[in-house]
Amino acid sequence: MTDSIATSQTILVVGGGISGMTAALEAAECGKQVMLIERNATLGGRTSLLYRYFPKMCHPTCGLEINLRRLKGNRNVRVMTMTQVVSVIGSRGDYTVTLKVAPRYVNDHCTGCGDCAKAVEAEIDNPYEYGLAKTKAAYLPHAMAYPQRYVIDASIINTPDGEKALAACKVGAVDLAMQEETIVVKVGTVVWATGWKPYDAAKIQPYGYDRYANVITSLEFERLADPKGPTGGKLLRPSDGREAKNIAFIQCAGSRDENHLRHCSRICCMASLKQTQYVREAYGDAGKSTVYYIDLRTIDRLEDFYVKVQKDTTVSFVKSKVAKIVEDKDANPVLHGVDTEGYHRYATAHDLVVLAVGMEPEANGIKLPDDMLLDSSGFIEGSRDEGMFGAGAATSPLDVNRSVQSATAAALRAIKVVYKTATVEG
Amino acid sequence: MADNKFAAYICSGCGIGDKLDVGTLEKIAKKEGKIQDVKTHPFLCSAEGVQLINDDIEKEGVTHVCIAACSRRAKTEAFHFPTAVMSRANLREGVLWVIAEGEAHDEVRQEMADDYVRMACAELKKMKLPDGNPNHGGNKRILVVGGGMSGMTSALEAAEAGYEVVIVEKQAQLGGWGAKLWKRVPFKAPYADPQNTGVAELVSLVSSHPRITVYLGSHLAETAGAPGRFNIKIAQESGAVSEEAVGAIVQATGFTSYDIAKLPELGGGKANVTDQAGLEALAQSANGAAIKRADGKEIKSVVFLQCAGQRDETGAHLPYCSGHCCATSIKQAMYFKDNNPDINTVVMYQDLRVPGMGEDFYRSAQNKGVTFTKGRATGVESTGATCTVNFRDLILDEDTSVSADLVVLATGQVPSAGVDLEAWNPVVMAADNGSEDAKQKKAEMQKISILNLNYRQGPDMPQFKYGFADSHFICFPYETRRTGIYAAGPVRRPMDMLQATEDATGAALKAIQAVENASLGRAAHPRSGDLSFPTARLEGCTQCKRCTVECPFGAIDEDERRFPKFNEERCRRCGTCMGACPVRVISFENYSVDTVGAQIKSVDMPDEFSEKPRILILACENDAYPALDMAGLSRTVYSAFVRIIPVRCLGSVNTIWITDALNAGYDGVMMMGCKKGDDYQCHFVKGSELAHYRMSKIGDTLSQLGLEPERVVTHEVAITDNARVAQYINDYVAQINEIGMSPMKGFV
Amino acid sequence: MSNQNQQAVARYQNNFLKEVEDRVEDGDWVKMCMQCGVCAGSCPLGDAWEHTPQKIFMMIRAGKREEVLKSDAMWMCTSCYNCIVRCPRKLPITHIMHGLANYAHRMNLAPQRQPTRVIAKIFWDNLVKTGRVNELKFSLAMYFKDGFSQGIKNAMAMQSAGLGLMKAKRLNPFEIFGGHKCKDSSGIKKMIAKAREIEDRKKGYTPL
Repeated sequence: MTDSIATSQTILVVGGGISGMTAALEAAECGKQVMLIERNATLGGRTSLLYRYFPKMCHPTCGLEINLRRLKGNRNVRVMTMTQVVSVIGSRGDYTVTLKVAPRYVNDHCTGCGDCAKAVEAEIDNPYEYGLAKTKAAYLPHAMAYPQRYVIDASIINTPDGEKALAACKVGAVDLAMQEETIVVKVGTVVWATGWKPYDAAKIQPYGYDRYANVITSLEFERLADPKGPTGGKLLRPSDGREAKNIAFIQCAGSRDENHLRHCSRICCMASLKQTQYVREAYGDAGKSTVYYIDLRTIDRLEDFYVKVQKDTTVSFVKSKVAKIVEDKDANPVLHGVDTEGYHRYATAHDLVVLAVGMEPEANGIKLPDDMLLDSSGFIEGSRDEGMFGAGAATSPLDVNRSVQSATAAALRAIKVVYKTATVEG
Repeated sequence: MADNKFAAYICSGCGIGDKLDVGTLEKIAKKEGKIQDVKTHPFLCSAEGVQLINDDIEKEGVTHVCIAACSRRAKTEAFHFPTAVMSRANLREGVLWVIAEGEAHDEVRQEMADDYVRMACAELKKMKLPDGNPNHGGNKRILVVGGGMSGMTSALEAAEAGYEVVIVEKQAQLGGWGAKLWKRVPFKAPYADPQNTGVAELVSLVSSHPRITVYLGSHLAETAGAPGRFNIKIAQESGAVSEEAVGAIVQATGFTSYDIAKLPELGGGKANVTDQAGLEALAQSANGAAIKRADGKEIKSVVFLQCAGQRDETGAHLPYCSGHCCATSIKQAMYFKDNNPDINTVVMYQDLRVPGMGEDFYRSAQNKGVTFTKGRATGVESTGATCTVNFRDLILDEDTSVSADLVVLATGQVPSAGVDLEAWNPVVMAADNGSEDAKQKKAEMQKISILNLNYRQGPDMPQFKYGFADSHFICFPYETRRTGIYAAGPVRRPMDMLQATEDATGAALKAIQAVENASLGRAAHPRSGDLSFPTARLEGCTQCKRCTVECPFGAIDEDERRFPKFNEERCRRCGTCMGACPVRVISFENYSVDTVGAQIKSVDMPDEFSEKPRILILACENDAYPALDMAGLSRTVYSAFVRIIPVRCLGSVNTIWITDALNAGYDGVMMMGCKKGDDYQCHFVKGSELAHYRMSKIGDTLSQLGLEPERVVTHEVAITDNARVAQYINDYVAQINEIGMSPMKGFV
Repeated sequence: MSNQNQQAVARYQNNFLKEVEDRVEDGDWVKMCMQCGVCAGSCPLGDAWEHTPQKIFMMIRAGKREEVLKSDAMWMCTSCYNCIVRCPRKLPITHIMHGLANYAHRMNLAPQRQPTRVIAKIFWDNLVKTGRVNELKFSLAMYFKDGFSQGIKNAMAMQSAGLGLMKAKRLNPFEIFGGHKCKDSSGIKKMIAKAREIEDRKKGYTPL
């Protein structure tokens, strides 16, 4: 079917993270019609899984709340979650997009009461905790999820647990017969805000992410630090649940490396500096953070934050790309390498190692239209017909502020396309 | 206008009907709330439930709707009745999910729900339907100040989207800083070589665009008005003054290069020591041939010193990093290498900062033979014939030196943001008090002003750190403190050309959004779409000026009679003025001293022997209220003795509410707002800070009433503090129990 | 040989990096190093190095010609290739180390008593004589490299190993009289001479 709501005047935004939400809202608040689609069950994207933002140490959900409020109050945006793009055909001003909507098994009757989750027994790896925790197979992605509607995991369909969920719902929101749907829409332009994914740390073999329990990624560390996360905000190391007080941060874990990612991922230096402050927050002067780096890239006013952290006596810096990690008998990761300022060889044991993993374009895993232009790392430069655009971290490794700038710019580029289409048509 | 008709709808779903006596709630709404029509529905947010309400609005003429169900943050799309006034009693997240289970708590749980219904009814009675600012301007033209790369980009992008643009450029030609460059750093794959700047092409596109008007050699002599109706006076070099009407402004006034003369220790001012701008000039005059020194000598070796006068911790120079200079030096080294690979080029850095794809550019430079040395320059000597750079080699850990025919200092960007309002305001105050000195100083400051706004709060945008015209810099980078005026490019934050053009495009969108919102009489971010706006009963005004001074957005001027003059289009609807007003004459249709005051007074106050204290919580709706909601979502239990009222911002809290509450017998008042200070998280910038300031003065009131200072407390609450808010509440209830019930109860 | 060195100095003046790029195997990669230090940390013999590879690269850029070429650092490389595998800029570090060692040797600046250099020289001289390695002569040359009496001591110490090898017919005592040769040893010599000529021409050496 062709959806009558969308027309050549509609802007399709793919991806409901902070960039996609921004692009959609900025365009909608100019009076344009927008369709915002998101692959996951909730909007919010990766930033909603961060504990704090640099450099203000504020919480990502604060901005998310405002954006959600803008969204709830704006009738120009139509949101579809669990939806992916299958294909895009056509050209600037006139695209036909095929969308695939995965079954949520919960319809819009859901009030978010949580009765289904209480009834269901099966647990799955919580996809919003990077698998660090379990959740019921009927779950609300997180407290700030939008829509505020439960999801039933496909694994319990046709099981007694599925029936339990159905029986528990008093408002008829559980629909176990829901099927995948295909929807075809006409739109004038597409903004790809498909975001990024963390580089697979296991590929950096000498760091042993796949072998050592106490080597984790920077994103997992965000979940540990978050009071809403799997450890209730305690920095517990995975091997024995002991508090990790002496923590190493390894920069460029995958980035700036022709064996892995060619580009610099930009955010990781600031992210690790921010995370050293989680250690301080947890232990005060009793914590210890060591940052192993090649160059600290805290550009512009972010330098202030670097200066502040340099003054923190619990944080030290070693200019070195760590060569390898081995585990000692107490499961402490021992870092080996050479401090290149002077020549100091080290073999230092830490309680926990946090790999500042690089940003890869998520679109690497998405079938983009052939017309899209990508750079050597797979980030989106735009489309040849200049009718589709990238926004945010899909275009370059960007921090939140720059992603929002990029998404706001993308919104205007999209508006230009529909304006031109309208002027030609009208 | 038709008569007001009030209706209340109580939802018994989600367990509300199981744990609460809905019949009592109905009775309260009817008898105490004086609501004509009260209905209960088992599933109010269902299509059928919503239809019931819509039918009542359309067929029964209901104008005011009270919904007693879930939080106002839930089911917002379902409960959307644009033609009716609505209040919501939060029975689910605010009562059911946070009050301990079990019969022992039935009584207090019910009392809490009863009160929330009373409060929602009382609020509703005082609310009016906002119908937008009727005096809005409808001008949709966009003014761009500055005709450099950022300004031209903003102008062209807006024009291509169908909007008329006026550019005002100080110089006699467009192009700005970009026109002085020989080439620019690459901005797309393969990020290997310097690129043409594209400035000439952009100048020609802008100059010939039918929707763009360009004023060269001009500056703004005055900017008056507000979004949708700015009137600007453009002073030209000839002395002529033109007037234009515009709806929004993009300020893309760029930067100047940090003065190299301030860096004598690095050879600033000596022969053959130049800055990056100086090298661009040499490259432009070489026009593709070998770059020669100012003295005409062939250059065989160049040293680029990064962070010259930047990342400075001594306080003498710029503390920040300008972000672009590493890539710029790389580009400039390539000017030499691409021409003659035998020229020795050294880039001396401490951290080489080429984020993102800049890494490819770095690699390309290495491949071309540019040498990178991690070192810290300690001095530069110049004999006139040659220069020597003394430095600490940080890798080889030794003091050494390198000689070069030319030394290029990578100096930083200094924003051109006009007058610093922090410095301006005391000068104006002194001038107003008759100081001749101050009057002269004021006139001088006006000369460097960029916008020359005739706003009460000063002629330019408030500056953030280090003189940049910025505001919120994470989630909402364009939200400056002057509505409808957006900063773009290096005036906002040090940045490279690619960032600047992205930024300029984004700023153009925000300007478009501002004119569209203004033309509909609606608020801009963060309450975008809000149709309410502040009005003042001037007959009660004492001209204390607090509102004009405290408005975070400079929305309020003074008229000829020295009364506050509201410019609604500049207003962001935070209510800070309402909180500031000592005589309570400022209000919004749906948010006023009365809407909150009535809620406070509607609560049923148990007597002092009941052992049931009542604590009023005024919670910022942006962070604290969601945190309280999420406490509910995670079923975090807190005391049933609190009564929570969401406020737009703690800045909107008028102290009369506190006094009213204490007089009415409340045992304590808690305020929950956002973090203040340098890393403020207040969406209205100053609201939280102002509230704290005002509350610091409330001690007198308390002692007059004979109350303990602990009866009023303020907390900074983040949106993630769901566990902490519950803890704050429970601790405070315990503290109040210790202090004892308020002695004011008997006086009600 | 020292003549060779003087000519190189004269030719490249202070531009050691250029000299390395022109004349050292894979020397044109040196400029690509970004000083991360992962090579140094990855080297299993790292502790034994006077200068780490990444530091040697920085010394080359800084023009420390004598210090680099006289160093025994690059002679320590055992070709494990850990550094090549890890280098984020894909520098062929192992090859560069061998190239530098070779170049230092050619310039006659390499430390004379450096054991790796000594064994390499003995091995090479042994090999080019007949086109085959004469193991007996090679072993003896190694025994006696530090003088006659040390040679006897070494031989005595290794006596049982030697006898065992002989028993197992892995060592033929008659090789002392010349032993196996390649069929066309003069052809091999010509080939080696030609290879050297090509290399010298390519790297701009003065012909020997």
